Amino acid sequence: MQQDDKLHDVVMIGAGPSALCAAVYTTREDIDTVLVEKAVVGGLAAITDWVDNYPGFSKGISGMELATELQAQAERFGADIRYGEVLSIRDIGQEKVVETSEGPLRAKTILVATGSNYRKLEIPGEEKYYGRGVHYCATCDGAFYRDKKLAVIGGGNSAVQEALFLTRFASHIDLLVRSKLRASEVLQCEIDKAISEGKITVHLETVLSEIIASNNKSVDKVVGTKAGEAFELDVDGVFVFIGLLPNTGFLKDSDVELDEIGMIKTNIRLETSIPGVFASGDVRSGATAQIASAVGEGATAALSIREYLEQQGREQPVV
Amino acid sequence: MSKKVTVYTRNNCAYCVQVKRYLDIKKQDYDVINLDENPSEEASVVAKSGARTVPIVMITNEKGDELIASIGWNPGALSSALAA
Repeated sequence: MQQDDKLHDVVMIGAGPSALCAAVYTTREDIDTVLVEKAVVGGLAAITDWVDNYPGFSKGISGMELATELQAQAERFGADIRYGEVLSIRDIGQEKVVETSEGPLRAKTILVATGSNYRKLEIPGEEKYYGRGVHYCATCDGAFYRDKKLAVIGGGNSAVQEALFLTRFASHIDLLVRSKLRASEVLQCEIDKAISEGKITVHLETVLSEIIASNNKSVDKVVGTKAGEAFELDVDGVFVFIGLLPNTGFLKDSDVELDEIGMIKTNIRLETSIPGVFASGDVRSGATAQIASAVGEGATAALSIREYLEQQGREQPVV
Repeated sequence: MSKKVTVYTRNNCAYCVQVKRYLDIKKQDYDVINLDENPSEEASVVAKSGARTVPIVMITNEKGDELIASIGWNPGALSSALAA
């Protein structure tokens, strides 16, 4: 990002489905819109293998294709998507400052749509062997495990869906579940079929304590407990899907009010505790963590931003 | 011999798209090896990097040494490797 002194109408933090939808709405009304993304345009949706519950796609759509289309639609109307990490935001009245790794951005309004990221196990071996046997993206890395044994960690929809996807490659999958399966009925039916075909074994009440690479290079074993008894399993790789954490660390020194798990509190117009700062999508307290609802919230946030800018007067003098 | 950048990717890898966009923004020329389309390259890149993930960016420097620039989406490591 080059130095940018312009006072933008809105800076959107994140470029997932919620922000991209908001950007479609704002840019179509000539509201000057900059999006700042630190990871992947399209967010977690982009690295999801397949999306079957997004309206308008009767046969489903790959997450990456959906993200690409959302990005193209936003850019068609003039959304300016930039890469960088947002470090903090500052409210100096009618003007806000977004501090990024590439320099500050000035804005009349901010939309925080940073979504969430995969929760980590936080056990020995997890960070050390990331990419060398520990993974969080089945669509990216699953194909490296053709005819190999995998452990998938988690018992929710993501874990079950990704375990089913990984059966395309792996010789066998052990699904390690801390308590009990919490996946939807549709997915439970699919996993029952995979179990009956011998592709997946489910281990309930199983908690990992370490991921081991005996040769110090690539993972070959996980250890922990199963129903309170010692448990170990020989595997070639581990895929972790144990839930999500909101990406709100950069707000810790701001006045944006968060709930007890770090998600952003908003009012009915999706405005946060700071006037002119809005939040939408998975990062918002009360969000349903669905692409369709994130997109809907993006539209709502965009309309609230338009209303705010109209109230403030679109032609604020540049200080 | 100038610096040569190679990006190892797969189909449906959003982080791979991101790395390529990043290199485009930096106006850095690069070659792409898609491991889904070139499976014979997989063993070699796993052996060289020790990683079973994509994207992997390798840089061959002026001396002909092949170095790992970044594994996964890691713009900090990639930026440093390109500047070195």
